[in-house]
Amino acid sequence: MKFRERIRTLSSVLVLMTVACSSWAFQDPLDRPATKSALAPRSLLNAVAYAGERLVVAGQRGHILYSDDAGKTWTQAEVPVSSDLTAMHFPTSQKGWAVGHDGVVLATTDGGKSWIKQLDGRALGQVMQEYYARFEGKGIDARQLEELRAAAQRIAEEGADKPFLSVWFDSETDGYAVGVFNLIFQTSDGGKTWTPWFDRTENPEQLHFSSIQRAGNGLYLVGERGMVLKLDKEAQRFRSVSVDYPGTFFGLTGREQSVVVFGLRGNVFRSEDGGAQWHKVLTGLNVTITGATLTEDGRIVLVSQRGDVLMSADNGRSFTPSPMAQALPASAVAPVGTHALVLVGTRGVNIQPLKK
Amino acid sequence: MAVGTNNPDVMPVVPSLKDFDSSSGSWLERLLFNNRLAVMLICLIATAVLGYFLATQLVLNASFEKMIPQNHPFVKNYLANQADLRGLGNAIRVVVENTEGDIYDPQYLATLREISDELILTPGVDRAGVKSLWTPAVRWVEVTEEGFQGDPVMADDYDGSPQSIAQLRQNLARSSTAQNLVANNEKSSMIVVPLLDRDPQTMARLDYRSFSHTLEESIRAKYENAKDGPKLKIHIIGFAKLVGDLMDGLAQMATYFVASALIATAIIFAYTRCVRSTLVVVVCSLIAVLWQLGLVSALGFEIDPFSVLVPFLVFAIGVSHGAQKMNGILQDVGRGTHRLVAARYTFRRLFLAGLTALLADAVGFAVLMVIDFPVIKDLAITASIGVAILIVTNLVLLPVLLSYVGVSSTAAERSLRLEREELRGKGFGKFWLFLERFTERRWASKVVLVAAVLAVGGFVVSLNLKIGDLDAGAPELRPESRYNRDNAYITGNYSLSSDQFAVILKTPPNGCVDYKTLTEVDRLGWHLRQVPGVQTTVSLADSVRVVTAGLYDGSSKWLTVARNQETANFAGNQSLINNPDLANKECSIVPVVAYLADHRAETLERVVQAASEFAAEHSVDERQFLLAAGNSGIEAATNITVREANRTMLLYVYVAVMALCYIAFRSWRAVLVAVVPLVLTSILCEALMVFLGMGIKVATLPVIALGVGIGVDYALYLLSAQLAYQRSGLSLAMAYKKTLQFTGRIVALVGVTLGAGVVTWAWSPIKFQADMGILLTFMFIVNMFGALVLVPALSYFLLSPKPVATPILAGEAERLAA
Repeated sequence: MKFRERIRTLSSVLVLMTVACSSWAFQDPLDRPATKSALAPRSLLNAVAYAGERLVVAGQRGHILYSDDAGKTWTQAEVPVSSDLTAMHFPTSQKGWAVGHDGVVLATTDGGKSWIKQLDGRALGQVMQEYYARFEGKGIDARQLEELRAAAQRIAEEGADKPFLSVWFDSETDGYAVGVFNLIFQTSDGGKTWTPWFDRTENPEQLHFSSIQRAGNGLYLVGERGMVLKLDKEAQRFRSVSVDYPGTFFGLTGREQSVVVFGLRGNVFRSEDGGAQWHKVLTGLNVTITGATLTEDGRIVLVSQRGDVLMSADNGRSFTPSPMAQALPASAVAPVGTHALVLVGTRGVNIQPLKK
Repeated sequence: MAVGTNNPDVMPVVPSLKDFDSSSGSWLERLLFNNRLAVMLICLIATAVLGYFLATQLVLNASFEKMIPQNHPFVKNYLANQADLRGLGNAIRVVVENTEGDIYDPQYLATLREISDELILTPGVDRAGVKSLWTPAVRWVEVTEEGFQGDPVMADDYDGSPQSIAQLRQNLARSSTAQNLVANNEKSSMIVVPLLDRDPQTMARLDYRSFSHTLEESIRAKYENAKDGPKLKIHIIGFAKLVGDLMDGLAQMATYFVASALIATAIIFAYTRCVRSTLVVVVCSLIAVLWQLGLVSALGFEIDPFSVLVPFLVFAIGVSHGAQKMNGILQDVGRGTHRLVAARYTFRRLFLAGLTALLADAVGFAVLMVIDFPVIKDLAITASIGVAILIVTNLVLLPVLLSYVGVSSTAAERSLRLEREELRGKGFGKFWLFLERFTERRWASKVVLVAAVLAVGGFVVSLNLKIGDLDAGAPELRPESRYNRDNAYITGNYSLSSDQFAVILKTPPNGCVDYKTLTEVDRLGWHLRQVPGVQTTVSLADSVRVVTAGLYDGSSKWLTVARNQETANFAGNQSLINNPDLANKECSIVPVVAYLADHRAETLERVVQAASEFAAEHSVDERQFLLAAGNSGIEAATNITVREANRTMLLYVYVAVMALCYIAFRSWRAVLVAVVPLVLTSILCEALMVFLGMGIKVATLPVIALGVGIGVDYALYLLSAQLAYQRSGLSLAMAYKKTLQFTGRIVALVGVTLGAGVVTWAWSPIKFQADMGILLTFMFIVNMFGALVLVPALSYFLLSPKPVATPILAGEAERLAA
């Protein structure tokens, strides 16, 4: 009898605890898996990428969707977080990374069908503190090292409030995730361990990075106040290449020797010499240019927040508007062969045919 | 019950008062008829006093709070937080449509400005909250290298030139606030006009009816008929306009009452062909109505769209009872009895029968008290008062009055002649002969079979009966009413629907911008958006996402609820500056509003289920999700209450009626005979509702209670007489034949007068009154035929061998049988 009573007490306590847990605690977006929703393909999406032939898109509430029929039908992937995602990159057809708010870094090894969390904002501070505690100060002075240790301390205290805004992998092992306030982490083992690179950027004002990408034989990092940094391979540091523009750059693209950076109010700058000299390219637009891609036939495509699509067949020397059937506010763009574009943005994912 | 002892031996024909023993009859009869002047005087004084109350204190009101279930948790939550839910509060929307062009017409814009200014100056309007293309609070905002930039959509230097118009176009394109004010086809724009419930200076409540009239005259009539400028059409919706229109409808009911009264008078006159007695019946019933209205005014009740119907019922019931009194007096006078003696005989014979029938009616009304809608409770109380008054006016005052005025002798003779003819099977007699057949096996079986088929068929159809209102727009008014046409125009041309379901989130003060709160608000909005029928949701979190993106150059990657509390605070406060309706002033109440595609019950149920699940899972001490507010939230509560009330009310009304029948008949078999026709009618009524596309709603609840409560009168009249005859030894066929002669005409008359009393509602501009009129007319008439046809048929099976009863009307029946 006693045993049975004890079991009963124990089980009722367990029931109470489960009830308590399910209703008392606030579930953090980092601990709450993304929920499946029929509305996901029509809601805010910020990133689009190819995993081999497969189209993958990512956006708010941890939504990642993939399509094997060029965007006709979409399947929602298994994602362990419901944080808003901002960027995604696939170095191979199977391996890819997505980043977003709450300092989250997700990885897939099955071409985007299922994802695991490699890093989140709650761990960033600790990683930084450990790293800079042991750091010997190569390339920086003692004051800067003190500042970095203080920053590590602050980030550890402030928790997961720093978003990553861009991710780039040169291979399935080597990659970078970047974000606000000089936030930059690097990996050489496919994301198993991450190294803070705060000491390796020429970003004295701790400005936000909005995009990192390889273009024209270089790895570039762009951000606030006209910031453009380029990786110095030898020194393994991001060095400033000056552009005379005070506004935010949102991204970059490039073809052959050309590098094209773009941002607020239709501003586009282009360099043919690896970032030494920049030339303003007139676009005729007054709205933010948000994304870019290359078509298979070698044209550069820019998209704007308002839904404009600009095309350049001369490696970015000049752009001409390409009228679309419908002006859809775009956050990112990818080509569908040579005949169409896939645009993602506040209205979800849309395939728009392209005029030849 | 001494007043009911009728001894038939003491009712001989007495031509002269000298030969009448004025101390005969019950004590009540002696008291009343030996003091006829006092009775008249008391009634006169009562009429004067209550008439004074009626004239001075009658208040018309269409308060919505009385039409919602006060004890439902949704409603309690709403009422407790009402003051903090301004966005869901009282505002009207005025849409100005250019029928000859679009909004980019300088003349259109000039007129729009006039209308906008005029609305701002209209008393009752919350001036600071008015939003139109012309109000400076409607701004565009843009992110540039320099940060935020913004200005009113209508630029300061607007001069109507093509350049200014082009500027306006551009400003509109970058202002989401302004886009919500412009129709999708750009042919109209909206002015949002929040109202103050009380005048800040006088503290007087806003008079919706006069406000609505002001809108009609100084906005709609004035600008639709303006000579110069483009041809405009004005569309106005909003709670205040709806209430105003309902009040207008309410005032119109007086006309319908006159029509009902005239129809009933015509029926009575056709029946008696006696001007004097017809007048007495109508006057007594009107006095009852006057007393009823005077008394409810004196007691502080307001006349609402439901209780305005009570006078119709009181009048109809009064007329039908009056007609019975007159029937007796006519026959006695026709036989040669003096009018006073005839009046006393009639009182003696019919007082108890009338009292029982009126009590049955009162039970039908009183059962409505169990329904948790203040309007229905008021209806129950005021109707019970009305029925109680009828006991005085039509069972007492009417015979006393008739004892003075008498009846015309030709009419009295005609009455006797008709009775004799009917006995020989002429005139109405043919119909009675036809009805008598239903006591025979062949016909009785057929009737019962047909009734069973109807019941089963009706039941199958009634399974499709829906809960709630099924039409689009404001269900209180007809679909083709101007209000609903305006509503359809606005729903069709603007993105947000008028069916709002809101979940209220309660936090500690200043908790509304907390990161966790905003995250949960955002999750709730997303959760509700998954429900089929939810078009979109609007909450503080949506605005916070947009403002946060604005902080970061408008990048869509920043359309997020920032975990950084400083960012969240700024975005939250900025959102509340842009739109104060997104939370209350203390920042402790946040509504999450779902805009629904329609307000059908299934849609509401799905939303309620989704919201309840979320609330149960996510509510914690410092963040409580409470259902529900918004018109659809209240409607969901109404539907839930109506569904439950419908069941309990049916149960109670049938238990009450059966108890009453058992007291009257002392036989369960007889109770069955009396109740089965009522059940059949109730089932058919539900089937009719399916055919007419009506759902069970507040307005249909009283219908079945009234239909059954009043409908049982027929069975009471028929069965009590029939059982008495059977008890005296007559066969069922003979007993029913005699019953028909005694009360058959009255049953038919009652059915027709009651039907006439309510049928005029069908033309009411208020939709639910029309629905009630149609259903009640149906129930009164079908109940009548059900009683006349089914009672004999069922009696054949249940009461044929020998009735085991001592009915209370036995005395009268025995007298007739003798």
